[in-house]
Amino acid sequence: MSASETTMPKSWRLETKPHKFCPGCGHGLVLKVLGQVVDELDIQERAVFGCDIGCSLLAWDFFNIDSVQTHHGRTTPVITGIVRANPSLIGIAYMGDGGGYAIGSQHLVNAANRNDKIFVLLVNNTNYGMTGGQMAPTTLPGQITETTPYGRDVDETGSPTLGPEMVAAISSETAYVARGTVSNMSKLKKFIKRAMENVVAGRGFSFVEVLATCPTNWRTNARDTWKFLDEDMKKYFKVGEFKTLPTEREE
Amino acid sequence: MERAIKEEKRVFMTGNEVVAWGALAAEADIMYGYPITPQNEVMHYWTRLAPKHGRKFLQTEDELSAGFTTIGGVLAGRRAFTATAGPGNILLQEPVSMAEMMRLPMVMAIMQRGGPSTATVIYSQQEVNLTTSGGNGEALRIVYSTATHQELYDYTIKAFNAAWKYRFPTFILGDGYQAKMREPLVMYNPQDKGVEMAASEPFVGKEGKFGEGREPAHLRNAFSMEEELYEVVMEHIQDYNKITPQIVEYVSLGCEEADLVIVAHGIVSRAAVAAQEKLRREGYRVGFFRPITLRPFPVRALRKVCKSTSKFLVVESAFGQLARLVKEALFGLEAEMDEIFMPGLGITSEKIIGHVKKKSELKV
Amino acid sequence: MSRIIEAYVGEYASGKSENAVNRALDLARQGRKVVLVDLDLVEPFYTLRPLKNKLENMGIEVIAWETKDTFGLGEAGYVIKPEMRWALRRKGDIIFDVGYGVQGFRIFNLVEGALEEENLKIYAVVNISRPLTSSVEDIIAYLNLFGRVDGIINNSHLGELTDKDVIEEGIQVIREVSRITGIPVIAISVEKNLEFLAGKSNFQGFPVRFLERYMPQSLW
Repeated sequence: MSASETTMPKSWRLETKPHKFCPGCGHGLVLKVLGQVVDELDIQERAVFGCDIGCSLLAWDFFNIDSVQTHHGRTTPVITGIVRANPSLIGIAYMGDGGGYAIGSQHLVNAANRNDKIFVLLVNNTNYGMTGGQMAPTTLPGQITETTPYGRDVDETGSPTLGPEMVAAISSETAYVARGTVSNMSKLKKFIKRAMENVVAGRGFSFVEVLATCPTNWRTNARDTWKFLDEDMKKYFKVGEFKTLPTEREE
Repeated sequence: MERAIKEEKRVFMTGNEVVAWGALAAEADIMYGYPITPQNEVMHYWTRLAPKHGRKFLQTEDELSAGFTTIGGVLAGRRAFTATAGPGNILLQEPVSMAEMMRLPMVMAIMQRGGPSTATVIYSQQEVNLTTSGGNGEALRIVYSTATHQELYDYTIKAFNAAWKYRFPTFILGDGYQAKMREPLVMYNPQDKGVEMAASEPFVGKEGKFGEGREPAHLRNAFSMEEELYEVVMEHIQDYNKITPQIVEYVSLGCEEADLVIVAHGIVSRAAVAAQEKLRREGYRVGFFRPITLRPFPVRALRKVCKSTSKFLVVESAFGQLARLVKEALFGLEAEMDEIFMPGLGITSEKIIGHVKKKSELKV
Repeated sequence: MSRIIEAYVGEYASGKSENAVNRALDLARQGRKVVLVDLDLVEPFYTLRPLKNKLENMGIEVIAWETKDTFGLGEAGYVIKPEMRWALRRKGDIIFDVGYGVQGFRIFNLVEGALEEENLKIYAVVNISRPLTSSVEDIIAYLNLFGRVDGIINNSHLGELTDKDVIEEGIQVIREVSRITGIPVIAISVEKNLEFLAGKSNFQGFPVRFLERYMPQSLW
């Protein structure tokens, strides 16, 4: 099955489709790839999907996979706790940039450092979507959000958080770390599959950040949405693998 | 699971160790914890014992994580617990509110510190408000306040069983003094005493295939409709009210024929009961009432006491945190309330006796 | 007269401090100059601190934290006071009350001159009512953790529930430990209010140290 295929993944929950994400939102694309990978690895009944607060919350009934909606920033420890207690389960922690890099950053840092055998899948759309488009740790310099109405001033509020770079720096040699984008679905699928395989094999912590679109909060039409994702975001966020088996690395 | 306690045995221990051994006897599978004085030896002893008994431990990055990983352990169907104090208890309230909403049987031991803020580490009952009523919600939880090491052991076992039977987050509330003090107790295997061990079962990752007796679990704590939330919360409240008579525990001594009833909980109740006994011997008509469960509070029992005695002396190492529960329980009844409030300080029986003799018009 | 240098080590809550305090006071009563060193690094907040003044009034020098100096120590974990490091440079008998979590003999790396000090005796205080040191095997395994133990103080008791049987079971178990390891039993320590038991039990010939209890005052 290819990433561009139009059929729904088997692990998707049909009763909850069409899903509730905005038109043009990147979440649906990320979750499609995740569903395909779950199908291909045949782990639907062993996986536990945890979702954060924020737009990622809308994924709580997205799959026919055991799913837990947690608190903002706390998906990583909940999934860590599950897998520590029952290592035969495959833990997936799904969150946004606010959940992973702001309110839950200590959990991400420490789960990565402890090499917890879980997969953290983080969607970076440069803002807090569900609470109304506020500045996120990943907001680009100069980007206008509800809490940076004159544009993000890096002297005042810092520069975009480079999550995979950070996780790669603090995680073990057996970790898998990558940044993908919804503008390259086949590459994204490759990254997510390697991340999941790393966890299924019990090898190490896996982390994939996905550059994703948020036209609703960006207030962009289709062309500008794609331009923001592919040009503006890529100035700061390098797509590629940061930590992988040496034979697999792809820049 | 193998029996951790081979045979009933008298031992000499510190309170923190008792919690670790009690958890072992209660068939706890995994502890998640973060260092904070004065609960550290709960972790120290659990980490020494756990590998010998096939149990697990994870040291987390903070108490938020300790609480949420404990939730993860519970979701996986394991008897999971954590222990903390003071500022750690504040962080713990966030996961506990998730457990309250989702009826997750997490178990926590709290060894109270002085407060507010960092404060002190030995002696305090200042986490009663937080432990009985923390979180954003209706604070549906079970709180056992222990006074002796035997109780720490008994109620640690009971906490796991109550949590899994009734599916509410459950606290064992001790304090820094109990944590560190030493006294003998009897360790036993709960099954040998006929204790019914509530079964634990997974919420996620169950055995079996979807569509063959198993459906994917979709668990959440967010709701879109007010009515939907109302229904869920009211159902929890009704459950809580229904089981309250089964959970509530208290000690009442000589309250039927008393002119004054001393009310105290936890470690302070030891001084209070000693004072009551001494005053009785000296001819003072004094009773003693001790809530063991601070939540649910023994409202009915205390109101019954109030029918025969309406004078109360509340004694606590806090400034009115127990008294607030007492007043709420007695609301609408005629009652006189005296107090010894010593936030963060120890209270001796001599202090209570002196107070009663000085302030009270009770005549021998 | 050579000076007495003894270090009391052992499992958490085994009675190290009570034995060290009593030994120090006993030596002082014999007219000796005694320095008691509170080498509890793990939780200095909980140990001899509240007793320091009282003990000094009873004629011994105490190297321990003073309450006014303990700010933050409830949180600090491992802390050593400079005077503790140089304790052996002091005159007189030195009694070390070594806290738990010592990781064995390595604690003496922190005390200047301890490893070369030929008079140093390391005594392990053992209470068989402590669950992790309740059997012969467990105690031997525990003593092995220290690397070096010169003697055992048998402090087996059950607090206020201590009776003749508890003490005699302790004697049996510890005697067996001593037989297997070759480590001598220095004394049996028994709470003073159980002195009457001396009539009933001859403690099988072992020397007995009757203990006054000081440690409960250290918490209340």
